[in-house]
Amino acid sequence: MMTRLVSTCLAVLALCGGAATAQELPALPDAIKDQGTLRVGVRCDQPPYGFKDQNGDFAGVEVEMARQIAQWATGGQIEMMCVTAENRIPQLTAGKVDMLIATLGKTPERARVIDYSTPYNWGGSDLLVMKDSPIQKLADVRQAETVVMLKGTTQAAWFDANEPDVPTMRLNSISDALQAFKQGRGDVMAADVATLTVIAEKDDSVRMVNEPFAISVGGIGVRKNEPEWLAYINAALDRMAKENLYIPWIEKWAPEDKWGFYKASFPPAPFPEIE
Amino acid sequence: MEFDPAYLVRHLPALWRGLLVTIEVSLAGMLFSIVLGVLGAAARYLRIPGLWQFVAFYVEFIRNTPLLVQMFFIVFGLPAIGLTLSLFWCGVLSLALWAAAYHVESIRGGLETVNKGLREAGQALGLKPWQFLVKVSLPLALRVAIPSMLNTSVSLVKNSSMLQAIGLMELTFVAVDRMAIDFRMLEMFTVLVVVYLALVFVLSFVAGRVEHVLQRPFRA
Repeated sequence: MMTRLVSTCLAVLALCGGAATAQELPALPDAIKDQGTLRVGVRCDQPPYGFKDQNGDFAGVEVEMARQIAQWATGGQIEMMCVTAENRIPQLTAGKVDMLIATLGKTPERARVIDYSTPYNWGGSDLLVMKDSPIQKLADVRQAETVVMLKGTTQAAWFDANEPDVPTMRLNSISDALQAFKQGRGDVMAADVATLTVIAEKDDSVRMVNEPFAISVGGIGVRKNEPEWLAYINAALDRMAKENLYIPWIEKWAPEDKWGFYKASFPPAPFPEIE
Repeated sequence: MEFDPAYLVRHLPALWRGLLVTIEVSLAGMLFSIVLGVLGAAARYLRIPGLWQFVAFYVEFIRNTPLLVQMFFIVFGLPAIGLTLSLFWCGVLSLALWAAAYHVESIRGGLETVNKGLREAGQALGLKPWQFLVKVSLPLALRVAIPSMLNTSVSLVKNSSMLQAIGLMELTFVAVDRMAIDFRMLEMFTVLVVVYLALVFVLSFVAGRVEHVLQRPFRA
């Protein structure tokens, strides 16, 4: 009861704060203003972050974020584009999109190539194994025959850095990886906690190891040397957090039993300290 | 984004391992495709009942479906009917089946250039069709077929890069994986272009030598 009261008060305070700062977004860079529309790269295969709904329309929390920024920046004019883990950076650096809201995990090596906004999401990785697997904790992964994962992900980087001797098999999409895992090409599957939770939920023959690793934060990606644009995005993210916009988006796009999980990984929830 | 040699050096060991896989899978693929190609062409030439029609269908099937789809079928489709090969052998199989279809056509073309008079001479000497094929027309036909078989083999080396989609850790895979992890494109693409060019040059050189040796009896 007490906590509820406190959180209500906090929410009210946050709303007041939001209202007070509502109009304080910095000036939009001329390049975007002249363009008249906002071009955003989003994921199309990562529910509830970015995906296509039954009608083939863009959907998800990150898509809502993109629409909201467009609302503030260009009066709602927006062009969205599907990007994959492999092609998103070329799309950005080649100037095809103005920003990426595409489950973009932050690493020091990546930050040399693009600029990141303040983080708006955090998450970890976990392992998925068959119910009867001897693998009980993360360290047991050394006994694994083959770990299936996605190419170019934080999991792939983590295994390269921490468990280079564990054989891995890296595929292009979650469906390929899951297929390979279920066909026995690997005895472990590594992916985001969020992704694996959905899979483990639907499938009784598998379980998660439940020892998260490779905790990382995700942000919006922009080209280097666009400080005005980055400042605008940071201010917009700040405003989204203050106005508590993530909550309704999560409730709109995530399954109800996962609301708690996602709400804990988006602002205003606290983020782990990572550098 | 400037070119960072230190980054490249850091990832050379992984790229080297990828290159070895590319070379292994390509060589094995070439070997099997040439064997299959010769057998297939022979089956068509000798009109072995049932078999030659199958070869004709096989050639059309392979040439008219995308290689990537064939690869996915071998990796994810075959296990459904109880045949699970390792990724490496999936790669060898898909490349060999693909290239063999083109080899069959090249060798068949070569066989058709064999002089009719030679065949009559062979018959007059009492050679059975398969004896004539093995002893006379195939050696002649292969000389004619070598340039186009080389073409196919070069394509095979380049197509081995598609195996990155099924997760075989060959050269392109290593580079693409690194690019997606670190977002650095320039270094990895440079390596890919240089290494594939070098591979193809070496292959062309070897094939040129083979051609030279095979043509020796025909030079004055």
